[in-house]
Amino acid sequence: MPGQNPSWSRRLRRPVGVGLAVTAILSLAACSSDADEGGKTTITLSMQNADVKTADPATWAIVEAFEDANPDVDVEVSGQPVAEHLQSLSIAAQSDTLPDVFWVYKANAEEMLEGDRLMDLSPVLDELGILDRLPDSTVANYTADGKVFGAPYQGLLTGLWVNSKVLADNGLSMPKTFDDLLAVARALDAKGVVTISNGASQSAFSVWQFLVWLDRFGFEDKADGLLDGSEKWDNPDFIRMYEHIAELRDAGAFSSNVSTQTYQQAVDQFLQGKAAFLDSGVWAASAIQESKVAPDVDFWRGPEFSDGVGEQNIVMNVASAPLVVAEKVAEDDAKLDAVKDFLEFYYSDEGQQILVDNGQPPVTDYEPKLDPVKQSVLASAIDEAQADDVTSPESQPDLLFPVDVSNAIYDSIYGVIQDQLSPSEAAALVQKALDNQ
Amino acid sequence: MVWVSSPWKIALMVFPAFILFTAFFIYPVVYAGGYSLTDAAGFSGAEFVGLDNYLALAEDSFFRRSVTNTLLILVLSVTFLVPASFGLALLMQQRVRAAGALRALLFGPAIVAPILVGLVWVFILDPRVGLLNHLLEPLGVPPVQWIGSDSLAPYSIAVVFIWASVGFAMTIFYAGLRLLPAEVMEASSLDGASGWQQLRYVTIPMMRETIGIVSLLLITNVFKIFELVYMLTGGGPVHSSETLVSYMYFVTFTDQRYGSGMTIAMVVFVIGALTSLAYLALSRRGRLA
Repeated sequence: MPGQNPSWSRRLRRPVGVGLAVTAILSLAACSSDADEGGKTTITLSMQNADVKTADPATWAIVEAFEDANPDVDVEVSGQPVAEHLQSLSIAAQSDTLPDVFWVYKANAEEMLEGDRLMDLSPVLDELGILDRLPDSTVANYTADGKVFGAPYQGLLTGLWVNSKVLADNGLSMPKTFDDLLAVARALDAKGVVTISNGASQSAFSVWQFLVWLDRFGFEDKADGLLDGSEKWDNPDFIRMYEHIAELRDAGAFSSNVSTQTYQQAVDQFLQGKAAFLDSGVWAASAIQESKVAPDVDFWRGPEFSDGVGEQNIVMNVASAPLVVAEKVAEDDAKLDAVKDFLEFYYSDEGQQILVDNGQPPVTDYEPKLDPVKQSVLASAIDEAQADDVTSPESQPDLLFPVDVSNAIYDSIYGVIQDQLSPSEAAALVQKALDNQ
Repeated sequence: MVWVSSPWKIALMVFPAFILFTAFFIYPVVYAGGYSLTDAAGFSGAEFVGLDNYLALAEDSFFRRSVTNTLLILVLSVTFLVPASFGLALLMQQRVRAAGALRALLFGPAIVAPILVGLVWVFILDPRVGLLNHLLEPLGVPPVQWIGSDSLAPYSIAVVFIWASVGFAMTIFYAGLRLLPAEVMEASSLDGASGWQQLRYVTIPMMRETIGIVSLLLITNVFKIFELVYMLTGGGPVHSSETLVSYMYFVTFTDQRYGSGMTIAMVVFVIGALTSLAYLALSRRGRLA
């Protein structure tokens, strides 16, 4: 037996010693909390972009500035594409291993709040004075059962970016109404120019302009009814809206490869001056600013409809999906303090100016400082949002519903754009998803 | 001499494989089966809903479309891929110049990740910027929606799948042909069999096992097509080019309807298993006949 053999004993002594030493080191490492590594408190931030540094430079810059200002806190940033991100969160929620701070859809956040997985942020945001600086509609949007479950990640200012040079080169002027836009589409199609650049492949959600159209056909008044089942999506107003999309399609407004190009390819199409309008939002401002078309680009909130319902002078300027904090953060004082510091920085004037410097509008009442030349593109969007008599809905329509209903809304719009669904079928598709809730 | 045929020794040796098989096959299938009977939606609790998810699938037009597309790709693949790869293997067996390079060229797509295959073919088939339409344009052919329409997209996916798989299937056939006993072929030649007669009455009957294996692999691979759809069409327009697995992915992860997604997974499992078993049964009947 090895124990009775002196040579075995000698041979084993060194590896056993090394093993014990390694075990001791590992044990010590395991005993120390991640909230206390090297004297630093670590918080995790999980986002909905695979490469946060390049895809979401505003968040990345805020984190870097925060770490510089708070050397005792380390923010571990991770990111995945939206579907994978949500999948990971779902698994983490079940195993109670959620990241400390993360981006998530509002509907999912409400489910997590119900399952006691999220912190009620009202005391924290109140203590830090953040609640007073957020629009009331945003706070109301992120409140459930009297608890504030999230804070706005970024602003969702969406519309159509316009290349006025493309219009001018084709003898066209800036449209104001839907009929104007239809005439522009017909004229551009005759010359082989794409009117509105969209991309449905792997980005079915990229229909922001048409979500504003819903509000121009009375969505805001119908929202509660749609949520409680007393109102139908396949109502005459919405069907009329889908009919207008079909009219645009028939006028040749969309690219012939709208089905196969991605949103990013649609952006590239616009940046190369091959399309007159880009259906997007303020997040595209930086890319446009750095492109050759920047001097010719303006922001347009979209057409007004003579047969619309209610207010037509609308711009979609709302909070996007929220940043939320995991409930377990409240159990660790050091971590809670670090998260508070992070939120305080994020919504400070300094943090908001970093958002602005990276092409995002502020989400608080902060008045941004804009360079009229270097940030002309972003400035045009903010000007449009702050124009006289312009109002904004409280929320983007898709963000009020569970994810499968939101997807049905996107499918219904792209279904008409791609001539796969008639206006009635498109409206019925969403109604079916609502019926399944 | 140590005898290992005693029952407990056999059980002991089978045990590790049994554990792995249970952990990585039986457990996931049972788990998915359980979930398919719930309304699990990710973040909230799951409630038992019986067969509701299965009944809902019957009314889901997108699901029916994904079944049709998968079967279409299966039929096209079995019809064209097996004969084409077998023919190529026969060709490779002849003394052709640069046979090694040709084999490598044909096998190439099989070692490229399907996601890259999809990416490459997007640049060929895209209706606006694709190479194919640019080549057809001078011939007066108007732009064709190879992957942008509901009518042609499933066929395009099948063509790309066949292109990506033909080298792999050819290699298996080629290996099978190389293993055929030379004396049998020589004897048939001496008996005066023509090349066609040799192929019809000697080669194909002796290759039946290999044909069966290739067909089975093909069937299971068709039921796993995902990346090609994801890259080529994204399942669009409006889910009209989804296959079973890509639609399952959409329902499970994009729609966050985990219960419904697992229902589709179970259906894929059952259809795949039944198709494979039916094919094996037919092959066995053919062998015995």
